[in-house]
Amino acid sequence: MTTDSGSFLTALRLADSFLPVGGYTASYGLEQYINEDRIEDGDDLRDLLAAYLRRVVGPCETVAVANAHAARTEGDLERLLAVDERLHAVTMPREFRESSTKAGAKLCELLVAGDDVRTPDSGAGVADAIEQNSTPGHYPVVFGVVAADRGLSRLEACLAHAYSFVTGLLGAAQRLGRFGHTEIQSVLESVQPVVTEACERYVDADVTTMSSFAPLTEIMGMRHERAGRRLFMS
Amino acid sequence: MGYRDVAKIGIGGPVGSGKTALVRRLVPTLVDEGYEVGVIANDIMTQEDADVFRDSFADLLPEDLVEGVETGACPHTGIREDPSMNLAAIDEFTERHPNLDVVIVESGGDNLAATFNPELADYFLFVISVAEGEDIPRKRGPGVTQADLLVVNKTDLAPHVDADLDVIERDAAEVRGDDPFVFTNCKDGSGVDEVIDHVDREVLFA
Ligand SMILES: Nc1nc2c(ncn2[C@@H]2O[C@H](COP(=O)(O)OP(=O)(O)O)[C@@H](O)[C@H]2O)c(=O)[nH]1
Ligand SMILES: [Mg+2]
Repeated sequence: MTTDSGSFLTALRLADSFLPVGGYTASYGLEQYINEDRIEDGDDLRDLLAAYLRRVVGPCETVAVANAHAARTEGDLERLLAVDERLHAVTMPREFRESSTKAGAKLCELLVAGDDVRTPDSGAGVADAIEQNSTPGHYPVVFGVVAADRGLSRLEACLAHAYSFVTGLLGAAQRLGRFGHTEIQSVLESVQPVVTEACERYVDADVTTMSSFAPLTEIMGMRHERAGRRLFMS
Repeated sequence: MGYRDVAKIGIGGPVGSGKTALVRRLVPTLVDEGYEVGVIANDIMTQEDADVFRDSFADLLPEDLVEGVETGACPHTGIREDPSMNLAAIDEFTERHPNLDVVIVESGGDNLAATFNPELADYFLFVISVAEGEDIPRKRGPGVTQADLLVVNKTDLAPHVDADLDVIERDAAEVRGDDPFVFTNCKDGSGVDEVIDHVDREVLFA
């Protein structure tokens, strides 16, 4: 792990809901779980988050962050785009893909596409590809790029990403259901080891292993497309 | 082409004050003036609201220039701290319609403090209604004081809710200083022309 102050602050910045990339509009199916009364208390939420981390965030998104980070560090654009393509292929619900690519485009605009980094072997390649719609530009992929550019280690990048996923989902839960702030913090505390476990397990995984197994979550994500009440984009 | 290349009008204000009613009055006039217009709705029944707009503007706008954008139960975040999803929707409009002139973004109903991010709205209208109480302008909410144009709607209801239009006018003038405000009745359309004059002058000819 780095102890570089600049990288540490970047990790905080990337994991902060203050980052204006529309994270607060995504519930990744949670709105539908709550629409269908499937999440009633903190324990339900804890179980759901743990399952998400073990089956989607770890084996899928963490693998994408880690491989994007590695590709970026090597300056290998082709490899980077392959990570993006694979993530697109394994993310089943349409709304999950849309939330992720919209946030990815915004993060790219904000932190990759700036004129200061538009040199041939830097951000321009991936930023151009996203802008021209020649690659989907998923959030975990752009996140890996930004993290690599700004000196976060691969594991730190994965941890920051997974942590912000958890707080994003908990924030959505609080806005959709009725959860107390101390209860939410206790859920956060108890899933923290699962965040670490998922990231450590998948940080070195090969891109070809990227996959998710969360059928109920995917069904929730798809049913949400036709939900009457929609506060969230996914 | 992207969101930076079109004029953007933000319409904010509390729930039920008449934002949608005003959009419905504005769009036909702007289209009539020859502008290509897009509309974004941020309200809770987002897609339903967008469908209502699509229906009522069926003869005026292509379907794909009307969009609902969900704001995760945070309407103010969607127009102020993090307008990225609204901007993404505008980017999609401009990609499909490179000649687009203006986009109207209707915020979800919110409190008197909700203002538009200047990167999302070149011009920001805040709509309140006399039926919410004659003391609204006096509370000096940032929406009321910072909007480019304050619209006080539902003047027809004033006698029914014991709201004194003179009091509202005096308070609005005081808290707005030199900035304009307009009284409207979106039901019969009175005052709407004045709103359009402001929009034409401040946004479209600017
Ligand atoms: N009497 C009266 N009703 C109005 C006026 N403007 C809007 N309304 C009605 O007020 C209700 C809420 O209006 P709407 O435009 O949906 O409010 P929004 O929540 O701000 O978009 C609807 O039933 C409208 O028909 C007005 O000027 N006078
Ligand atoms: Mg409305």
